[in-house]
Amino acid sequence: MELLEFARGPALTFAITVFIAGVVFRIVSLFLLWRTKDSSAGSSRERSAFSAAIREIIRRLWPQSAYKQRTLFMLINGYVFHFGLAIIVFFLLPHIVFFKDLVGLSWPSLPNNVIYAISIITIVSLIAALVMRLSNPAQRIISTFDDWFSWLVTFLPVITGVIATSHLGARYETLLGLHILSVALLLIYLPFGKLMHWFLVFVTRSQTGAHLSHRGAQL
Amino acid sequence: MSRGNGTNCLDDQVTGMALSVLAEVGRMLETLADSGREDAIDLRSLPLTDADRAELEQMLGRGEVRAELDLAGESEVWETNYPGAWWIRHRGAERKIASEEIAVCRIPEILKTHPVDIETAALRIRNELETTHE
Amino acid sequence: MNDKKTLGEMLTERGVSRRTFLKYASYTASIMALPPTAATAIAQGIANARRQSVIWLSFQECTGCTESITRAHTPSIEDLIFDFISLDYHHTLQNASGHAAEEARMQAMQENAGEYIVVVDGSVPLKDDGIYSTIAGITNLQMLEETVKDAFAVISVGSCATFGGIPGANPNPTGAVPITDIVTDKPVINISGCPPIPEAMTGTISYLLSFGSIPELDHLNRPKAFFGEAIHDRCYRRPFYERGMFAKSFDDEGARQGWCLFEVGCKGPVTYNACATLKWNGGTSFPIQSGHGCLGCSEPGFWDLGGFYKPLSTAKGDPLKWAGGAAVAGAAVGAASAIMARNKRNKILKEGK
Repeated sequence: MELLEFARGPALTFAITVFIAGVVFRIVSLFLLWRTKDSSAGSSRERSAFSAAIREIIRRLWPQSAYKQRTLFMLINGYVFHFGLAIIVFFLLPHIVFFKDLVGLSWPSLPNNVIYAISIITIVSLIAALVMRLSNPAQRIISTFDDWFSWLVTFLPVITGVIATSHLGARYETLLGLHILSVALLLIYLPFGKLMHWFLVFVTRSQTGAHLSHRGAQL
Repeated sequence: MSRGNGTNCLDDQVTGMALSVLAEVGRMLETLADSGREDAIDLRSLPLTDADRAELEQMLGRGEVRAELDLAGESEVWETNYPGAWWIRHRGAERKIASEEIAVCRIPEILKTHPVDIETAALRIRNELETTHE
Repeated sequence: MNDKKTLGEMLTERGVSRRTFLKYASYTASIMALPPTAATAIAQGIANARRQSVIWLSFQECTGCTESITRAHTPSIEDLIFDFISLDYHHTLQNASGHAAEEARMQAMQENAGEYIVVVDGSVPLKDDGIYSTIAGITNLQMLEETVKDAFAVISVGSCATFGGIPGANPNPTGAVPITDIVTDKPVINISGCPPIPEAMTGTISYLLSFGSIPELDHLNRPKAFFGEAIHDRCYRRPFYERGMFAKSFDDEGARQGWCLFEVGCKGPVTYNACATLKWNGGTSFPIQSGHGCLGCSEPGFWDLGGFYKPLSTAKGDPLKWAGGAAVAGAAVGAASAIMARNKRNKILKEGK
């Protein structure tokens, strides 16, 4: 019980504080950086920055035919665990109750066994992503601490959540405590690594889209 | 377990547990016949709903023997329709069921008279005779 | 006191048959989750035992535990326990008072040295030399140490004695501690709950009587027979939890339909007790069956778990208490780092010229 109390109390408060400070720091420092003014005359095919940004976001949702063969599995796998994670995080009732308590918003939940099935799929998908990273020599060489650790802090909350729900190995309050601690770890690390794409994925894609469009790329 | 949708009282749902208990009683009766080993099932330790319990009682039925016991509250013992399987129901405060079991045996222990009680009975009769006839 | 006689002999004289022992044993086996075939051995054990001297100490408590154990109204099987024990000292229940009461305690301790059981309800204050609770001119701590010295075992009943309870709740003004903090050289059985289930108290004493040993305990010294499973795991509303059907408030359709009470703060998933199986008032009902979530009263520190009506999966306290400061600090550091980067760039550009 002490572990759960620590997790629900000080650990979570600390993690959320670091998370907010970190995310705001990253976003503010990024947006206040200078941007070299591109004085060149834009291509005749240049679109408005907004339209180019949207098109780029949509275009990148699916691989170009040239790469399709090589990347299709990785891409689908990526979708699987991204959607899986989102559904688990936002549609399990205990999670919704957590958000409701935190920010006052609430929405309908999915039954536990549905979430359970999605969690298993997500776990398999995350393991597949790790195996692919390990088995591809090129990918392995370019992988940094950030890549491995980001995977770990994403995987831990899912696996501890499933173990807690199925009461495996230890008492529920201990497992729940570990689950919340793993989420705290995720929140603390998130702003400082590639997981920051939670917030920046569409920002960077917009920027790329606008830039390429200025250069006249026909996308 | 199959349980109805959105009902208030889950106690009136039949879960199929009764059939499992019946099968277990069958196995115990076989053991009793083969080796004489007695056994029992504590009904309170099983996740039976009220409906399950009623169904089980109906399945086992009532046999030839029925006894009412008056000891610190009431108790009922009856042989079910399957000889060798006895239903023992002990009641406690306010006639609530304090414990309930199915005993598989030739005769339940609770019906036998304990040697100590027999000795005491003999003693009482002797005392009775001494005081009334002397 | 007929100390030399066995309970069997004593009760036979009073016309209690061995069948009654057996009935009591069946009941005990059932509540202790022992196989029904163990009843004969239990009956024999109790019949051969001597009447058990029990000294009941009440410290910082509310007498709710005593209310719980003396709850039955009609003479019945559940009351037999009071024939099996000799309650030699108990503030609320004994006739004697003042010096006579304390003498009764001393006498019981002398006559049954090494054999008597001490039952404690209530926590013991340690702050300021324990002056916040005294009985007969001595502090609770002194009375406990003195009484426990020659005891066979100690049974802490209720959440105050087992974990500190209300007196020990934040900010714990009297420095209240549970019995296990003080008694370390004797077996201590914890029967927690506010109050504990009466059957958990009587069942444990009956077990001690018939087997002369301590039942199997969990990591908090509680008998596994009663505290082995979480309320949630044996709750009849569990299927609703799995299906995602929850009462959102105490007066909505879900509440009326008897759905799961997780969202209105039920602590069943982390509370270990037998409420869902033994139930209360002779098997009538238990809090969840009556439409209220479990408060977690048999768990350590349940008063300070963050609120009875706060769902278990929510953060404790206010996790956003530093959120504003964090955002401001993050923005400030972010802005500073961006400005520093700009300055550095300008400097390089100037020097480059």
